[in-house]
Amino acid sequence: MSTQTTTSAGAVSLAARGGARPRYADNKPAWLFLAPFVLFFALFLVVPTIYMAISSFFNTSIAKSGLGSFAGFANYQEMLTKREFWDDMWHTLQFTLYTVPPLVVLAFVFAVLANRVRRGQWFFRLAFFVPFILPSATISLIWVFIYAPGNGLFAQIQTWLGNAAPTPVLADPKTAMVGVAIATLWWTIGFNFILYLAGLQDIPRELYEAAAIDGTTPWQQIRYITIPLLSRTTSLIIVLQIIASLKIFDQVYLMTSGGPGTSTQTAIGLITNTAFTDFRSGAASAAAVLLFIVILAIAAIRQLIERNQERTA
Amino acid sequence: MNSHPPTPPARGVLSRRNLLRGGLAAGGLGLVAATAGCGSPLAAGLAGSQLDPGTVTFWNLFGGGDGARLQTMLDEYRQQQSRPDSLVAATFAWGNPYYTKVSLATIGDQPPDVAVAHLTRAANLAQAGLLTPITEDMLSTVGLTSADFNQKVWAAQKVNDQDWTVPLDTHPFVMFYNVDVCQKAGLLDGEGKLKPIQGVEEWEAALKAAKQATGGLGLSVANVNEFATPWRFFQTLYSQQEGATDFLSDGGTKITFNEDLTAKTLEYIQKLANDGLISKAADYAGSQTDMFTGKSAFYLQGEWEITTAQGIKDLKFGMVPVPTVFDKPAAQADSHTFVLPKMERSPEQVQRAMGFIKSMLDQSMTWAAGGHVPAYLPTLDSDEYKALEPQADYASAADVAVYDAPAWYSGSGSNFENIVGAQIGLVQQGLSSPSAAISSIRSQLQSYASTANPL
Amino acid sequence: MATTTGSGISAAAPPARAPRTPSGNSTRTFNIVCGVVLGVFAVVWLIPSLWAIKTSFTTNAVSALGTPAILKDTSPTLASYLALLEGGDIWNWYLASFLTSAITVVLTVVFASMAGYALSRLRFRGRNVVFGVMLLGIMIPGQVLIVPIFEGLGAVHLLNTYWAVILPQVPAVIAVFVFKQFFDGLPVELEEAARLDGAGYWRIYRSVIMPLSKPVISAMGILTFVNVWNNLLLPLFVVSNPKLMTIPVGLATVQGSFGQRYSDIQASSLLGALPLVILFLIFQRRIVEGVAGTGLKG
Repeated sequence: MSTQTTTSAGAVSLAARGGARPRYADNKPAWLFLAPFVLFFALFLVVPTIYMAISSFFNTSIAKSGLGSFAGFANYQEMLTKREFWDDMWHTLQFTLYTVPPLVVLAFVFAVLANRVRRGQWFFRLAFFVPFILPSATISLIWVFIYAPGNGLFAQIQTWLGNAAPTPVLADPKTAMVGVAIATLWWTIGFNFILYLAGLQDIPRELYEAAAIDGTTPWQQIRYITIPLLSRTTSLIIVLQIIASLKIFDQVYLMTSGGPGTSTQTAIGLITNTAFTDFRSGAASAAAVLLFIVILAIAAIRQLIERNQERTA
Repeated sequence: MNSHPPTPPARGVLSRRNLLRGGLAAGGLGLVAATAGCGSPLAAGLAGSQLDPGTVTFWNLFGGGDGARLQTMLDEYRQQQSRPDSLVAATFAWGNPYYTKVSLATIGDQPPDVAVAHLTRAANLAQAGLLTPITEDMLSTVGLTSADFNQKVWAAQKVNDQDWTVPLDTHPFVMFYNVDVCQKAGLLDGEGKLKPIQGVEEWEAALKAAKQATGGLGLSVANVNEFATPWRFFQTLYSQQEGATDFLSDGGTKITFNEDLTAKTLEYIQKLANDGLISKAADYAGSQTDMFTGKSAFYLQGEWEITTAQGIKDLKFGMVPVPTVFDKPAAQADSHTFVLPKMERSPEQVQRAMGFIKSMLDQSMTWAAGGHVPAYLPTLDSDEYKALEPQADYASAADVAVYDAPAWYSGSGSNFENIVGAQIGLVQQGLSSPSAAISSIRSQLQSYASTANPL
Repeated sequence: MATTTGSGISAAAPPARAPRTPSGNSTRTFNIVCGVVLGVFAVVWLIPSLWAIKTSFTTNAVSALGTPAILKDTSPTLASYLALLEGGDIWNWYLASFLTSAITVVLTVVFASMAGYALSRLRFRGRNVVFGVMLLGIMIPGQVLIVPIFEGLGAVHLLNTYWAVILPQVPAVIAVFVFKQFFDGLPVELEEAARLDGAGYWRIYRSVIMPLSKPVISAMGILTFVNVWNNLLLPLFVVSNPKLMTIPVGLATVQGSFGQRYSDIQASSLLGALPLVILFLIFQRRIVEGVAGTGLKG
């Protein structure tokens, strides 16, 4: 984790490297080089963000052109006082709570173990990482089939273990989100696994060698060297996972459609339903702005933590 | 599975051609763009040209038994056209996802030529400006008139005095009964059919007799993980009473259900459940299984479950309209209709689309085998349909069909049904009191009612 | 839509290797135990995929009977695959996925590397502002913008075209930073030499910088390809016609008409993933390094 210093180091290296040329020597070519990307950036990130903010104050309908009538803060008021909105936020938090701990702990364990094994790296990569590059649609179809009530693999295994009437995981409001979380764990652990493996490589070998000469056990090495030195990776993974959870859509849409009832409906599901099923894109925009603020806040907190760590490192 | 490119005749050729096309695309986009036909996905995807000119594109939401029957009807149409590529059909997942697709496709300039819509949802599509109205002129191009349809359905599909759909059927909420169990309970007549049940006393007596015969339940009706069924059950009983008003009015801006009658109906449902006469907690599949396996004598659901019931080995069952427990017969219902999503259409395109619809109507008998009551009078009034059992036994339920009140958030599988159905389900389970359910329903609906209609 | 940023090792880092500790018996035993435990986990992780593969090689009639029947089935068949490949739709989905992914890759790589080059090597007024705005942009969650993006595409009549899937995914800000970072690490001398020869910026970018950047180009290219191929949310709403759908949307929305066709469903989900698995097998190291280096996540 050594190169996330782009902001400061970038400017420094540029100044150090250039030598004699004046500071603004390349104005015209630079903007020509930037133009295509900046155009796309403006059209598909900046303008939509602004339009979203504006239409959140209007009764915009997806079936009609134009912004519609002015709504003031009514859309925000509706969202903030609606049970559904808070329920869906809670489901999002639930999903985060179910997925973050296993995704961090298991990925760490897998990486530490894999780092000690000399042979068969390709096999572990295949097993843990390949699911990560597969489409969510494939993942969901596989897991819905595994969870099939009655005679699916999961129910069958429970039956063999002596549970005569296994509950259908995705059909029960109490367990549906757990089912989605397990599928997600299987799907995305490879990403964290790779990040941890990369982090492990950055730990100087000498540290372990010195520790070994001092007669420490492998456990102690993990406890006192590996875990502390990987703390940056860990906090990165946690924040990435929280942000990813806030934006969860695919698995829920594909595996439960937000059900049973609305027990697995999450924020993006609420936004798309409000916009594309109810046609109320103005109200959906208000919900999106609220979610947007939460995500930005978390991303900002992450920046703060990172800066802090850099300072202490 | 039928939406392959128009020209090639044989399927093997088709695959190879497509493979080749994929390979070419990898090599040089320009080349492919030049060689691909005008109506191909490639041209449509890159240049926005129209897909499949000269064919009928048809979208629907029919799964299960309905889907299998539809397939037969579509194949028949292809045969009539003697061109297998005359029709491109796609089936989507039922409910909101389907209507979202139809709406977004229309907003996005690529709607199908013909789509299936529930009557209650078609009204919303029409209000949103997403449909082309159906005129007598259009009907007459294929020899139809509005008089060819069940007039109750035809009247129900009108929005703003215009016609927006061509109805295919009515699908009322009906009662299935297990013949063996009812026999044991002494509820059958000499011909082995259910004796008519009329009024609260006969109804409860029948349920009690049935409960005794099964040693379990009298009747099962789904209310767990299920919102539509509790609503259908409630709406049927509620509408049977004098003084029942529409749940919503003025396009959904007013909540107008008769509160006393609603409370009374909910209390009645709770009482039946508490007495063990009807199921307290059953999910969709479970409520069926109860009746199939004789744990209950009766089972309430839409008539389309006839296909499932017929598939159960050794099950003898019958179907009748839901008995008139209260003042007058009524049954919650909806209709499947054909709609024409809004787009620029040439006279030929209109003619093709109407021709397809006519072909489907002509095959109403095939459709009726799946339980639905035909809306097309030449079939409904035919001797052949009248001889169809048990379909003909409940066909009268279509005459007393009660559709969901129109609102931008109501209709089959809508937010309205989800909200109201969830509360009714809780009342039946004994987890909520009628008054708590009513206040919850009222407050949830209020947020929709006070929202400006987005259509 | 690159949605998350991350820091990481350089894209060219060597693959993981076990730390070389002085070989003691206890360490060796410990390592073997590690291997066994990890092996068990790996097998558990493989089960869902293997189960899907196994099911896809049965007939629908067998898989409808449930787990025991699938396990007992000993006559693998390609019936489901053949039916799907003959059916037609899946070829259109492949075409859409392939075209949208490939075009997005080209546009993203070219535009992002150009922007990265400007930010890394050129001095101009407003550089810090551009940098700051881009950093903010990296935090914008693309999914949240689905509604305004849909409305914008509708306004210019691009819905239900491949462009509706391609264009919004081009501005992957993370790619600009990855390119910039890579260029920062390239020696300036080559560039200086070229400039002395009279080469302009465009020629330097094209003939000096780009040829040196093959590792990062392929890493970004592959990751962008995978991201676009796998994206569900955007194409789900901007493309409604089954013939124009990408693979994930097709798998998610179009259903056949004959009830529970487990074998067909599993075969179709595997077919949708197959190109990515092949890509992974070919570019294993690049993909892993790219992920480690960018934290790019769909």
